[in-house]
Amino acid sequence: MNLTTFYLAVAGLILAPLVGGLVAGVDRVLTARMQSRMGPPLLQPFYDVGKLWSKVIAPASHWQGLFVRWALVASLASDVLLAAGADVLMCFFVQAASASFVALGAFCGSSPYSKLGAQRELFQLLAYEPVFLVAILCMAKVSGGFDAYSFMASDQPLLYKMPLIVPGLLFVVLVKLRKSPFDISGSHHMHQEVVRGVYTDYAGRDFALLEIAHWADVTVVLWICSFLWATSPLAMVVTAFLFLFAALVIDNISARLTWRHMLKVVAPISLVLATANLLWLYME
Amino acid sequence: MSFLKTSQIKSPWLMHFDCGSCNGCDIETLACLTPVYDVERFGIINVGNPRHADVLVVTGTVNPRNAEILKNIYSQMPDPKLVIAVGACGCSGGVFRDAPNVLGGIDKVIPVDVYVPGCPAKPEAIMDAVVTGLGKLKGILEAS
Ligand code: SF4
Repeated sequence: MNLTTFYLAVAGLILAPLVGGLVAGVDRVLTARMQSRMGPPLLQPFYDVGKLWSKVIAPASHWQGLFVRWALVASLASDVLLAAGADVLMCFFVQAASASFVALGAFCGSSPYSKLGAQRELFQLLAYEPVFLVAILCMAKVSGGFDAYSFMASDQPLLYKMPLIVPGLLFVVLVKLRKSPFDISGSHHMHQEVVRGVYTDYAGRDFALLEIAHWADVTVVLWICSFLWATSPLAMVVTAFLFLFAALVIDNISARLTWRHMLKVVAPISLVLATANLLWLYME
Repeated sequence: MSFLKTSQIKSPWLMHFDCGSCNGCDIETLACLTPVYDVERFGIINVGNPRHADVLVVTGTVNPRNAEILKNIYSQMPDPKLVIAVGACGCSGGVFRDAPNVLGGIDKVIPVDVYVPGCPAKPEAIMDAVVTGLGKLKGILEAS
């Protein structure tokens, strides 16, 4: 590892959660504008986390604190891996581990809503992880390597060769951002069918750390989506923003699906499309 | 003030508990969340979980049965917390104060920080109460 890689890794560690927090702020402002509201300030997610950090409350289970910290470490590690130009598949697996830690922590709680949310979180993992994996395989096939730098090095946008993975990636972004119609395991405010679902039992500092882990996750997912048009840094930012914007539009015009619908209809369709794209790339 | 103290004032998450109201005040409380009033511009989010809440908004009168639940919810909220009694019923028992099962306003059971008069209370008054409560919290945080 040379010194530049080290600096990039440190930058990834610090900047990725900040970018994720800003994405959350943009998300809330844009959502409000779409509903003809004014919405909170752009930095509201940072205030929320600061508030949660300053609240002292006994955890629902002592295991929860441990799992939250592991989830945070895994999420930040996946950002660091991407920033340092490591294997994107490795980053994908580490990021999946983070989601499992969140579910495990929720299983430790005493609230039935938390357990229900944790079960649904596992269903979500089952639904989006294969699609995400095939999408990354497609990108690796075209760019000729699994490391992040070769994904970003191609002079022609990857999108030309993989139009069929776009619905799959959008599905992953919707699940990861916890947006309708896939805010099944837990959602942001005011959708209270399972209260906060997987987040119900987390409170105070644990919840603040979990929120930071979530920001880091969102950054990773949007970053991987932006590889589709990685001709320049600006193009990557625009691609990531387009994915975010599409997710917000879908969130505002759709109602929540059940996990059965997600697992039996949406996941298979997007997986078949992505796999067809992969086969096409191999046969070309 | 430090960032952590500022953020406590800028991010009040609100939990609404219907303690036996006629639903008049509940509708007005929910109206605050609509695009017309949009409380989210103050950073307010309506949460369904007392462990995440900073402000407890209670509508309606207290009776011996729901008093226990009210105390339970209040005790699950992390400090520092605010309680807002909404409507004539929440403040004093309102038109139901002489009913045999009614204990009175919610301050008979838990300490109340801000009272919102009205039958039903107006959404503007409810939002004003939250902002007043936050002013009180700011004073406490500055003194600490
Ligand atoms: S104050 Fe009036 S509107 Fe509100 S709960 Fe009581 S009776 Fe209903």
